[in-house]
Amino acid sequence: MNVLEVKNLTKRFNGITAVDKASFSVTEGSVFGLIGRNGAGKTTTIRMMLNIYFPDEGEVLFKGAKIEQDFKDSVGYLPEERGLYKKMKVIDMLLFLAELKGKRGSEVNKSALQYLERFDLADRKNSKVEDLSKGNQQKIQFISTVLHDPDLLIFDEPFSGLDPINTNLLKEIILEMKNKSKVVIFSTHLMEFAEKMCDSIAMIDKGKIILNGKLSEIKEKYAIKNVSLNYQGSLSFLNNNPMIESIEDFGNTTGIKLKNENSDQELLKLLMANNISIKKFNVDEISLHEIFILLAGKEIENV
Amino acid sequence: MFNKRTLAIIKRELKMKLFSKSFILMTLLVPLFMIGIFSIQYFVQSMAGEQRSDLIIISDSDEILNKVQNEIFQTSAFKSGDLITRTEKTELSDFTSKLNEIKPDIIAQRITGVVFIPSSSLQSKGVEYYSSNPNNSSLFYKIKPSINKALVEIYFAGKLLTEDEIKFARKDVEINGFRVSSDEKVAEEGYGNRIAMVLFSFLLYMALIFSGSMTMNAVVEEKSNKIVEVLLSSASSTELMAGKILGTVIVEVLQMAIWLSPIVLLISTSWFFIPPEFMPQMSFGFILYFLFNYTLALITYVALYATVGAIFDNPQDAQSGVWPLLMLIMIPFFIALGMEANAQSSLAQIASLFPFSSLIVMPARMILVEVPLWQILLSCAINIIVLIGIFKLAGKIYRIGILLTGKKPKWSEVFGWLKMSS
Repeated sequence: MNVLEVKNLTKRFNGITAVDKASFSVTEGSVFGLIGRNGAGKTTTIRMMLNIYFPDEGEVLFKGAKIEQDFKDSVGYLPEERGLYKKMKVIDMLLFLAELKGKRGSEVNKSALQYLERFDLADRKNSKVEDLSKGNQQKIQFISTVLHDPDLLIFDEPFSGLDPINTNLLKEIILEMKNKSKVVIFSTHLMEFAEKMCDSIAMIDKGKIILNGKLSEIKEKYAIKNVSLNYQGSLSFLNNNPMIESIEDFGNTTGIKLKNENSDQELLKLLMANNISIKKFNVDEISLHEIFILLAGKEIENV
Repeated sequence: MFNKRTLAIIKRELKMKLFSKSFILMTLLVPLFMIGIFSIQYFVQSMAGEQRSDLIIISDSDEILNKVQNEIFQTSAFKSGDLITRTEKTELSDFTSKLNEIKPDIIAQRITGVVFIPSSSLQSKGVEYYSSNPNNSSLFYKIKPSINKALVEIYFAGKLLTEDEIKFARKDVEINGFRVSSDEKVAEEGYGNRIAMVLFSFLLYMALIFSGSMTMNAVVEEKSNKIVEVLLSSASSTELMAGKILGTVIVEVLQMAIWLSPIVLLISTSWFFIPPEFMPQMSFGFILYFLFNYTLALITYVALYATVGAIFDNPQDAQSGVWPLLMLIMIPFFIALGMEANAQSSLAQIASLFPFSSLIVMPARMILVEVPLWQILLSCAINIIVLIGIFKLAGKIYRIGILLTGKKPKWSEVFGWLKMSS
């Protein structure tokens, strides 16, 4: 069942269209990735989904109803650029952000202390936020995102700027939320994370959704007749070969699209005959990164 | 606009501000600061009077010199040694060369100055004073009565008048002000209300600039440390702005009430004694009006300051954007101070009804004169309408500005935001 539906969202700034008729839907208990390079329109789309920006056109439906201000109470949001009140005590900060979401009292207080305990920060509850390390401040930010027990979690570029420990912690949170049948949406330009964690994705480029659907179905569709290759040597002898439709260099890997589904073994023999040193030869496999480049036409920058 | 989210933001503002060291310090320090300013002024004035003055009195008339010197000998300044004079008789034609001779002493400040009283002053009362500091009013205050007395006595000496008649002729006119109020009561007016006017205007001026700047810096900080997007994922920008402004207003009004409490005790009890001429004539109702007007002024100006904070993402840029607001506070403040000369002038009347300036000028005018009720009500109505307008405009700019970072926006762009949906 679709919990969240984004319909024809459009946003213009000073005549420039930042998001152009973006539509996608997210099902219950799934992890959804909004994927695109920096500046593609991911954050603007998310801000419209959260009613922070009013869309010029289109609408967002949550459980079938158009979102209003109170919808924000059921959302936990971790923006790309995170921040806390530096002078506040850790526990006061957490309780204030929960109160903004309409949660107050002993239950949320208890829950905050449990999270602090779990993240090894129980002894810092009365410290000022500014006295915590950057990594610990990030942990406080994670707790504030989930403390009010939201139904929908939105993470904007969640892995940028995280150390490896917090990256794992966040992955843990995302999977835990998924197991609790919550909806998790995250935007990223890091394809490998999306590939590992998402059930469904929407790819956005220059404000337009260029691909949308279940990750397994998308990969199945694009992987047919595709060979993903890691090698050393020169592939120039394959140019104009009748069994090959196209060769795409993706940097780390090379994708070879075959004209015929059954010619993969023939290709392998040909590569070996030409003394190509093969590190990896995967048939009918394609990475999200490769799909993105096929569709968007350009290399995605890794930041 | 007023809901659990606004309330949560107001609560946070109150908690952070009311228990902060700066609130406690400001609450205690501002009255001390005000007392300090008045004391410094008093101290400077008294210091000016205490400075030793060494004068040469020159005249072409022995009679003038003797009389003036005699009168000066009787002054307290002479007796305490603060004023030393010697006389020199010089013919009118030789005065210039005499002055040239003394000039080096004046420049080297070996003497304070030269008082030249020609015999023609018996007709014109024109006296000349030569000094490196010719605007020394505290010195004039000391010597003028003696010179005047001497000249008047010489003038009337041969005219067969009694001493009482001469005394009368010498006396200046004194005008005592009596306030006639609408209830037809008449009361003598002292300095109290003039002092109170300066005090209240100064409090208003300082508190508005201070609370405005504090709010602006807090908004810039929220923007630059990025918490604002977290807040906006829970509250709308209007709720956020309203919460911040109302939180600030509650704290500041409370602080003002604390500052005004001694004045309330002064006018409503007999616990303190101050000389009647310094006693301000004001009612408890005026204090309530002042707090109400202060609330309106705070909401208006704090909203504007918060908006400027939302436009810029660093304190330096915000400071450069704040000067139009400073003008909106400073100009009415100086109009209010200038009203001491005449609080019923047409400028004073217009300024006390004009948007923005009314918030500062009207209370000052009400201290000095009895303002018709319709003018007070009209100014309140104008201020409330302006406040609602400002709140709407500020809300729009705040909503757009608060998430924009990077390049410093131009004013034309900011006006463009008013046309955008968000």
